[in-house]
Amino acid sequence: MKKRIVPLLLASALLISTAACSGNTGDSSTNDSTNSGNSSTGGSATEIDTSEHVTISYLTLGDIPTNETERALAAVNEILTKEVNAEMSLRWIEWADYTAQYNLALASQNGDLDLVVTASDWLDGWPNVQKNAFLPLSEEMLKTYAPKTWEQVDEAGHWKDGMYEGQIYLIPEDAYAQWINHGFMYRSDWAKEAGFEDGIHSWDDMQVYLQYLKDNKPDIIPWDVAGSTGMTAEVAKGWQDSHTDDITIDGFGIQLFWGESKDDPYHLSRFFIEGDGLLEFATEMKEWADAGYWRADVLNYTGDTASILKEGGTGAHEHITQSWYTDLRPNMDKNFPGSDLDFFYFGEETQNLVKLVTTHGAMAVAAQSQNPERALMVYDQLRFNQEVYDLMAYGFEGEQYTLDEETGMLSWTEGYDNAVNGVTFNFWGGRNDDMERKVDFYAWEPYEEKVAEYEKVAIEYPYGTFIPDKDSLPQLENLANVYNTYMPQIAFGKMAGTPEECVEQFRNELKQAGYEEALAEVERQLQETYQS
Amino acid sequence: MKASKAVTADRPSQHGFLYRLNQNKVLLIMCVPAILFFLFFSYAPMPGAYVAFTNFNYNGGIFGSPFVGWRNFEFLFTSGQLTLLLRNTVLYNLVFIILGNIIQMFIAILLNEVACKKFVKVTQSLMFLPYFISAVLVGLLVYNMINYDYGFLSNLVRSMGGDMPKLYSDPNTFPAVIIIAKLWQSTGYGTVVYFAAICGIDASMMEAAKVDGANGFQRIRYITLPCLKGTVIILFLFAIGGIVKGDFGLFYNLVGTNSVLYSTTDIIETYVYRCMMNTFNFSQGSAVGLFQSVFGFVLVMVANGVVKKLDSDYSLF
Repeated sequence: MKKRIVPLLLASALLISTAACSGNTGDSSTNDSTNSGNSSTGGSATEIDTSEHVTISYLTLGDIPTNETERALAAVNEILTKEVNAEMSLRWIEWADYTAQYNLALASQNGDLDLVVTASDWLDGWPNVQKNAFLPLSEEMLKTYAPKTWEQVDEAGHWKDGMYEGQIYLIPEDAYAQWINHGFMYRSDWAKEAGFEDGIHSWDDMQVYLQYLKDNKPDIIPWDVAGSTGMTAEVAKGWQDSHTDDITIDGFGIQLFWGESKDDPYHLSRFFIEGDGLLEFATEMKEWADAGYWRADVLNYTGDTASILKEGGTGAHEHITQSWYTDLRPNMDKNFPGSDLDFFYFGEETQNLVKLVTTHGAMAVAAQSQNPERALMVYDQLRFNQEVYDLMAYGFEGEQYTLDEETGMLSWTEGYDNAVNGVTFNFWGGRNDDMERKVDFYAWEPYEEKVAEYEKVAIEYPYGTFIPDKDSLPQLENLANVYNTYMPQIAFGKMAGTPEECVEQFRNELKQAGYEEALAEVERQLQETYQS
Repeated sequence: MKASKAVTADRPSQHGFLYRLNQNKVLLIMCVPAILFFLFFSYAPMPGAYVAFTNFNYNGGIFGSPFVGWRNFEFLFTSGQLTLLLRNTVLYNLVFIILGNIIQMFIAILLNEVACKKFVKVTQSLMFLPYFISAVLVGLLVYNMINYDYGFLSNLVRSMGGDMPKLYSDPNTFPAVIIIAKLWQSTGYGTVVYFAAICGIDASMMEAAKVDGANGFQRIRYITLPCLKGTVIILFLFAIGGIVKGDFGLFYNLVGTNSVLYSTTDIIETYVYRCMMNTFNFSQGSAVGLFQSVFGFVLVMVANGVVKKLDSDYSLF
């Protein structure tokens, strides 16, 4: 009997699913309409009804903190209750597999999300806007419920950065200066030994420095690096930044689309399929690999190399200005006085440096949010209420930190360790320089020197309002695969054959995957956005 | 399945459905949890496979998103990688199935011949343990064993004057690493299945063979192995449905993003992951899943048909 039931069930299930397929062929366009019906704009701007106490959920990324965050949250909620009769609950997307988890949380929202930290470059901000995960925020709504935010962003003229098809979806974190451009950190003490009296300023210098370490410091790995996909992309991008005028365009997930130069940003560079640049990169990295600057199994290595640097186990580290002056430099000064960890930024050789897009951090309101108005009111508090801001960024005065009355400098208290007794809110969607404190632990002097240098050359990100239409780019998946297959081999010199063979193969496969067509399409979209 | 066959085999088939239902009610009640499980977790979600044919957006949901036909399947076929991926996936699975079953059977028979019960218990438990170790840890373990610079094995080989091959740079030898890791993980589990099957063999047959003067090897050759035939075929039929599904956890954690090894280690899952991690497209992910399921379904039907032709007692249905 079971013999017959199983195939029957199978058949009927298949039938149901095929019926479902064919039944829906007709209405392919009915759901393209926007969901603006969902946005209750709140009517008159004069009176805001906050009589009902609500809980606003706030989604951010990070591992669930075990430090003093809960206590700080309680204190924050006290203030929020007083100000806007609301409290906040935290929802964390942990780092393991965060992109997938983040997108899933948004896809499966059912009113459980209100404020969502997002970003146009490192999180799928725009794809989620396109999939209707966020609520469109009307001007009136913002003016009514988040007036300070409205004013600040409006004054800077940045609302357009968060717009899609004429509606605001992302509130940009545009009032917070940070430099997260990548580069190599290196130890000045060792660089001096290697003959670089005033620092390292090119990839060739870097090679000499690493060779010196290889020859003279047998106990360390010159540049201990974990060759993950992300690291591969940064190294490849860094090389291209430093050797060409090309400007990378975010939002594709892969760094295959670059503008020609800052003077001609809307034509695309053909670096990946023409010219010698790519081969030069491959050849140099093969030299680095063969010389043994990193582990032989670099592509499978997953160690925490920042910690290794801090323990003195390596002489170089690839990361960003921000982590250099707030973490690695001060810690190295503590652990190895005189090491003077310095930063060679990518793009220095060709003066090719681009400022951060204003939506590198952003806040959005979830599409299914039950209390979008109150969520905006809470957001205004997070961004502009100094008391709340301090609690979320630094903790309790006297416990986590003390403030110097005269200089305004903030010092961590004795025994402060963020993981143990600090606070973690990862509020990356609306930090505000007007509210920020100057932490005395950070390496301000070298940082300010570096920033002065940046300010001289850096240009605004030219593609801030460009949102790629990926539906017209069916090649992206296969291109991603080709890039992620060959770029790690090139960037870490692990190709099977010669660099020439590897580059040629890479180019052939790119073409096969439709790179030419994709280039043309991206260029078309760019010009449509910017030359209309 | 076997049991219900045994019970119904000698019943005259002209009885009505209700009569047979009544006759087998105990068996059926015992099956209810399993039937419900599959109904809810395998059959009920099936219509959701429709998402593979849509351009999914959160407002429309699965059935409200625009229909796009086969577009989500295209990337898999236009990549030019499908043959390589299918080859790798199927070959690995074949090796896992064949080698795995042989070793599991072999060890089960060995254990059966061991007289000391305590030894058998301890061995079984120890062999079972790796099954519970997550693929992430397996990946780390393997890395720390064989990485060229500081690996345990590398140091061992070097201290004995040899030179460790750079396994992570050699696509020709790395499959061996994957196979060993997989067998290490799965052998204990499979052994238990075979051991149970051996324990189920009618003891009187063994005794009769002993009385007739069959030695240990002969008893294995003429009694144990033939009696395991049914188990082997059923396990094989179960396994073959998943032959185009790879063990993503294991492969991803062993190979990671080391593209040097892709030519021999890339399976459908890892490829799809690589394509999707940049775009996070539910629909395309589901399209691949659907493709694999349909492929597996066809394979099971074909294999079962073949088995049925050869010896209908051993077919699943």
